[in-house]
Amino acid sequence: MAQRILVLFALAAALASCTHRSRTPLNSIAYSLKSNVKSLDPAQAGDEYVNEVVPNIVEGLLQYHYLKRPLEVIPQLADGMPKVSKDGLTHTFKIKKGVRFQDSEVFPDGKGREVVAADFIYSWKRIADTRTKSDGFWIFDGKIKGINEWRDKLAKGTGKFEDPIEGLVAPDDHTLIVKLNKPYFQLYYVLTQAYAGVIPHEAVEKYGAEFLNHPVGTGPYKLDHWIRGNKVILSRNPNWHGETYPTEGEKGDLEAGLLADAGKPLPFVDQLIFYEIPEDQPRWLTMMKGAVDFSDLPKDNYDGAVEKDAKTLKPQLVKKGIRLFIAPNADIVYISMNQEDPILGKNVNLRRALALAYNTVPSLEKFYNNRGIVAQSPIPPGLDGYDPNFKNPWKEFNLEKAKEYLAKAGYPGGKGLPPIEYSTTSSSTSNQMAEYLEQQFAPLGIKIVVVANSWPQFTDRIRTKKSQIFGIAWRVDYPDPQNMFQLLYGPNSSPGPNNSNFNNPEFNKLYEESLTLPPGPARTKIYQKLRDIFVDQLPWIPTVHRLDYRILHSWVKNYKHNPIMHGDYKYMRVDVDNKREMKEKL
Amino acid sequence: MGKYIFRRVLYMIPILFGVTLVTFLLFNVAGGDPAAQAAGRYATPAQIQAMRVEMGLDKPMVVQYLNMVKQIFTLDWGRSWSSKQQISILIKEGVGPSLSLTIPAFILTLLISIPLALVMAYKRNSIFDKSLLVSCLALISISSVFYVLAGQYFISYKLGWFPIWGWDPTWEGRWDYVALPLLIMVILSIGGDILFFRTVFLEEMYQDYVRTARSKGLPERRVLFKHVLKNALIPIITLVVLEIPFLILGSLLLESYFGIPGLGNLIYRAIQESDFPVIKAMTIMSAVLYIVLQLVTDVLYALVDPKVRFE
Repeated sequence: MAQRILVLFALAAALASCTHRSRTPLNSIAYSLKSNVKSLDPAQAGDEYVNEVVPNIVEGLLQYHYLKRPLEVIPQLADGMPKVSKDGLTHTFKIKKGVRFQDSEVFPDGKGREVVAADFIYSWKRIADTRTKSDGFWIFDGKIKGINEWRDKLAKGTGKFEDPIEGLVAPDDHTLIVKLNKPYFQLYYVLTQAYAGVIPHEAVEKYGAEFLNHPVGTGPYKLDHWIRGNKVILSRNPNWHGETYPTEGEKGDLEAGLLADAGKPLPFVDQLIFYEIPEDQPRWLTMMKGAVDFSDLPKDNYDGAVEKDAKTLKPQLVKKGIRLFIAPNADIVYISMNQEDPILGKNVNLRRALALAYNTVPSLEKFYNNRGIVAQSPIPPGLDGYDPNFKNPWKEFNLEKAKEYLAKAGYPGGKGLPPIEYSTTSSSTSNQMAEYLEQQFAPLGIKIVVVANSWPQFTDRIRTKKSQIFGIAWRVDYPDPQNMFQLLYGPNSSPGPNNSNFNNPEFNKLYEESLTLPPGPARTKIYQKLRDIFVDQLPWIPTVHRLDYRILHSWVKNYKHNPIMHGDYKYMRVDVDNKREMKEKL
Repeated sequence: MGKYIFRRVLYMIPILFGVTLVTFLLFNVAGGDPAAQAAGRYATPAQIQAMRVEMGLDKPMVVQYLNMVKQIFTLDWGRSWSSKQQISILIKEGVGPSLSLTIPAFILTLLISIPLALVMAYKRNSIFDKSLLVSCLALISISSVFYVLAGQYFISYKLGWFPIWGWDPTWEGRWDYVALPLLIMVILSIGGDILFFRTVFLEEMYQDYVRTARSKGLPERRVLFKHVLKNALIPIITLVVLEIPFLILGSLLLESYFGIPGLGNLIYRAIQESDFPVIKAMTIMSAVLYIVLQLVTDVLYALVDPKVRFE
């Protein structure tokens, strides 16, 4: 027995003596995701982690320009931007010739076949088919002529998948005509999304529901292998149709070195590795050791990494060549107040009192490490209608004024006001946020009852309008504040995305009008009017627009943050010599 | 013995019925509306209803419960709400990595703790016994998160002896990644195990039969290994067998911190994402394993101890 133990100890010691060496190729980019990649099916591209990976494998008709800001839509598989009819209802896309799907066993000879217009119709129909259980149908819902009728018939069993959709026509292999029910100025934005990517029907027919593990697309990378719960590895697609690095960008890009590779063929790196590391410490340490090339900045490591100015890295990180990139996210965190609640819904002064009593600044430090800016309205920075100088009068922290408005609301000193129920999830951060909220309203004499739920219970309470107030966030799906304002449009009330059930006739009318207008000063003016109605009526207390903090090693080149979409890895380059040299020192 | 096992298997039926019923009711209350979850953030009531029909949630509760029972017997747990992955595949994929960590750690712990506990019991109150006793108490008093964080920081990051995080699915490659969590797992369980075994051995050492054996002039080695160890086997078997389900289920903390794609990691993710079909499958699977292994324990009792009869 003793001998066996000794042998085991010796083995352990032998293991310990071997310093670990990485097996990852140098010309690769490894990124650590905060959560798991759930699926590689573009129909399931509902979360940011799937969107980090899938756009590298599956492409669509359009994409965002990598460098230009505000974000600009440019062709991807489309041969130029589409022709639009005078009424704005018919969009004719020409599809690039010679684009082939990645080589795969799903094709008879293993060689990827050419992409044709019918493939787009197939892929989009698949999103609309209820059997796919895609959460992405909203991009076409009620927009494309006949798509809802086709979907309903299919769900009821009175229609077939092969049945045509009036608004999706392919007159030849390289032309796709999209007919709309009404103007849809966000169409090009949604067509950049992974949901609208093109896949071959052969792959879905072969793999069925398992397609989510065997994606086939036209992208610059293809799936190499995936260890679920650990990592996804993509390798270069040798048959990619090819693109070049952009030759122009926005002001400052040249100075930042972002145009050094202008005109060079993409992609630059051979392999992409997405590690799924939910815990902060290993995510941080793998970054510090150079096992990953770039990462977010974990909350727990923030204080040790960033100077008090919240803008520069500490010297020990700078010495390692690590760089920090800060950019605003197009999102908002807010406290929603149910407008159908008999107490809160009918009493604007009560809502104003709550907003005046809520001090956002300390919460920024407490919960976000100051990685955010105080939100004044639903419009996030960088989007049409955002005004950095705009001040919401109810967002100044003013307890005296709050008390005054509480009295105006009919509850002087909080007397007569029943406790307000705050719904939240049961995580520790959510509990801390609930405690913070209780503290904020206590000086007014307002009592908060915290109801902690599991996430499904929480969303159920919101959908069934049972919550009085709750904290929630929204990140826009495309760079248009319409995506924020639809959260306040009456007909979208719960169970729709309008979770505050705000239903203001004037707001609804203006919102509907904004949908008929192309981007331009007239629409911007309407957006600002919508913002003003929001501020006046205050269905939410807007709290924070979060900032994205990302840290990169010196060898990672061409990184630029996209506030809407990630997954632009084809543009990124690795300085292999620098990586080899620096990694030795880490 | 056959009759005994048959009778015990029959007893398992009402227990399993209870477990499945409680699990079903619990998840139906706490699980929210999976159709609404699946339909996405822009879903209309009609779309949620269509999804409900698609997922079979429009059927009566009894039918839904029977579907769950069918899942248990066919081992087809359906698909995860969150990832849409087939749960049986996720479980199958997770068993190997979990066992790669837990079995070596478990065996190593037993190989170290049993002889040490035996010697401690034999040398009761000696400096050796006392110092090990204190060490064991210290080991179990420190939070498991500390071992994980400190081990990962100092041994992997600072000293670079092991990778910080990751997994290699090949048989020869995985040990590099398993080594540190394995050592931590041994440290985590060794203190408690030694204390438990020591108590068991001490109890046996003061029995009459040990005194008799010694008075017969049997060498101490024979007294300890032949008599004491054999009689102490019952509580040891209980501990060992009942730990087996936990070996299969892996370690939530270690797998999550070290990136081992095992069942612990799967459960951890499912809890974080409120992925109830996965949690439900794992709950029922562990309950069944537990019940079956209890039966195995009872059978083993009778095999090692002639005093226990199959009645």
